Amino acid sequence: MPENKAESKEIVREEVAYEPYTIAMGPQHPATHGVLKLDLELDGETILNCKPTVGFLHRGVEKLAENLSYAQTLPLTDRLDYIASMANNVAYSIAVEKLLGIEVPMRAKYIRTIVMEMARLTGHLLWLATHALDIGAMTVFLYCFRERENLLDMFEEICGARLTTSYTCVGGVRQDVTGHFLEALHAFTDDFPSKIAEYETLIDKNRIWLKRTQGVGIVSAKDAVSLGLTGPTLRGSGVDYDVRKHMPYDAYPYVDFEVPIGSKGDVYDRYRCRMEEMHQSNSIIRQCIEALPTGPIRSPDAPDIVMPYGEQKRVAADATFASGVIKLMKDNEHYIDGDVYVSAEVPKGELGFYFVSDGRGVPYRMHIRSPSYIHIGALPFLCKGQMVADVIAIIGSVDVVLGECDR
Amino acid sequence: MKIQYDTKKNLAERIFLLEILKGLGLTLKRLFSKSVTIQYPKERKELFPGFRGKHALIRDPKTQDTRCVACMRCATVCPARCISIRFSVDEKTRARKVESYEIDALRCIFCGYCEEVCPVNAVVLTEEYEYSNYTREPFHFDMERLLKNWDEFLEKNKVDPDQYRNPFLRPRGLSIGDLPVGKRIDVPEEWTLEGQVIWKDGKAVSAKDAVSE
Repeated sequence: MPENKAESKEIVREEVAYEPYTIAMGPQHPATHGVLKLDLELDGETILNCKPTVGFLHRGVEKLAENLSYAQTLPLTDRLDYIASMANNVAYSIAVEKLLGIEVPMRAKYIRTIVMEMARLTGHLLWLATHALDIGAMTVFLYCFRERENLLDMFEEICGARLTTSYTCVGGVRQDVTGHFLEALHAFTDDFPSKIAEYETLIDKNRIWLKRTQGVGIVSAKDAVSLGLTGPTLRGSGVDYDVRKHMPYDAYPYVDFEVPIGSKGDVYDRYRCRMEEMHQSNSIIRQCIEALPTGPIRSPDAPDIVMPYGEQKRVAADATFASGVIKLMKDNEHYIDGDVYVSAEVPKGELGFYFVSDGRGVPYRMHIRSPSYIHIGALPFLCKGQMVADVIAIIGSVDVVLGECDR
Repeated sequence: MKIQYDTKKNLAERIFLLEILKGLGLTLKRLFSKSVTIQYPKERKELFPGFRGKHALIRDPKTQDTRCVACMRCATVCPARCISIRFSVDEKTRARKVESYEIDALRCIFCGYCEEVCPVNAVVLTEEYEYSNYTREPFHFDMERLLKNWDEFLEKNKVDPDQYRNPFLRPRGLSIGDLPVGKRIDVPEEWTLEGQVIWKDGKAVSAKDAVSE
C-alpha cells in the first residue's frame, strides 16, 4: 500500500496506558450506502485504521453464471449496480459479443449509448442525493430524486421496469425505442442543465459543504493508479482515463464529449468531476437522439438470444416437436475456446467482465471486475488520519454500491 | 478537460452569507411551484404498456382456455427456473396438451423472457403490481389461477382482450418475417421495423415519413 502522509502523525500519550478504541460502523448504518461494515480504530476522533468488511449481500452471481446460458445471466447483471442497471446490461452484452465476435447494428449501438448515459445520470443523481444527505444537505436529496424519477419513468417506457431493466440482449437491444420516449428524453435534456445549476446553487459555494469536502480524503494521481481506482474517483485526482475515450465501444466513437479531470484529488474535486460528467452525459444523449439511424435492432447472427432470430429461426421452428430452443441454448458452435475481458465505463468506474469459455454455451468461469469492490479496498488508505465524520464524506465521494461489490 | 472552479469568496460574500441566502431563495421559489409528489393510494401513476407485473395466462376468446402448446420454451429460458409445465402427448396426432402450468411468483425475477419467447402469446406479465399478501401460498400460481389473473386484469383495467397490446407479445422493432406466426399481431405502426422512429427537425418522426419527404 502506498504511503500516507497522515500516517506520520505520531500519537504521544504519557502515563496512561493507551489502547485504540474500536467501533463498528455498519453494516446497518444509513450512511454506508448499504451493508458495508467498517471497523474503525480510533484515537479520539482520529482514525488510526479502517478495516472494511464486505460480503453481506453476496448472492453468488459469478457462480450462478456458470450454470446459465449467456442470455439467462443478463437479468442477473441488473442486480449488480442496482441504481444504474442499464449500464451493467450494456457492459455485459458487449463482453459476450466480443466472445462471440458479433457486430451490433448501428441503431442498437446508438440506443445503447443513450441508455448507458441515462444510467450514468441516474447513478450520479443518486450519488449526489445521498452524498449531500450524508453531509447534511437535505434539499439536494429531494431535488435529485425529482429528476431521477423522470429518467426511471423513461426506462419503464422502453423496457417495462424502472430498476431491473434487462434491456439489452446479446447482439442488440430487446425493444426498439418509441417516439414518445425520444421526445420526453429530448425535453428532459433541454431542462436538465438548469436543474444541475439548481444543485450547484445549493451546495457549490456553501461554506458548510466546502468545509466538509475540501482537503478531505486526498489521494494523489500516483496513489490513485496504484490503488486501482477508476471512473470519476480516479479522474478527480487528475488522471485522464476513461474507457469511453480510450477503448471506445458502442456509439462513443461517433459522439463528441470531453472527460472532466480534477487536480487535487479531494472529495470536492470528485464532486466537481461528477457534476461536469452529468453535463457531458446530457450532451451525449442529445447527440445520440439527433443522430439515431434507422435499421435493425438485433444482429442477425446472434445466437443464444431470447427470441430465435435470423438463421436460428429455422432451427426454432421445430420447437413444438424437438424443443428447438433447448437445442439452440445448448448450441456450441458459436462459442470460442478461450477467454475475453471487456470493460465499460459505468457510473462507478470501469466495470469489466472476464469470461473463460471452453466452447460450450455457458461460461466456464465469469469474473466481474466491479469498481465498487476495488474502491472499498481503497477506503483504509483514504480514511487513515481523518476524522470519523469525514469517513461519511469519503464513502460518499468514492461512490460504492454494495450490490456490485458483494455480487 | 481540466475542471475550473473558484471557491474563493469576496468580502461581501464572506460577511453576508450570500451563498446561503441564494440557496434559501431557491427553496423559497420552489415552495410555490407545482408539486411533483404522487399521493400513492389516492392517485396512481399510469403505467406504460409492457410493464412487467403479475403473471397471467391469456384466455383465448375462442376456446375460453389457454393457448399454451407446451413447447417448454418459457420453462427452458427462465433464469430463475420458476415455471414448471406438465403435458401429455396424444398417441395419434403427436400433439401436446398442457396438463399443468405452474409459476412460482416468489422465485420469478420479472425479466420477461417467458412472454418474449412464447410463440403463441400464451403467457404474459400484466400491468398489475398490487398483489402483496401475508403468506406464500397465494404466490404459487397454477393454471387456473393464472387464467383467473388474466380475467381479473381485464376486469380491473377495463381492457378489451382483442385490443390488448404488450410490447413483449410483439417485440418493437423486429421485422415481421423474424417472428413466429403467433406473434404477428397488429400493433401500432411505431412498433414495427418499417415505422421505427428517428429524430428530425426537433421532433420524433417515423423513418418512413422522413424518407418520403
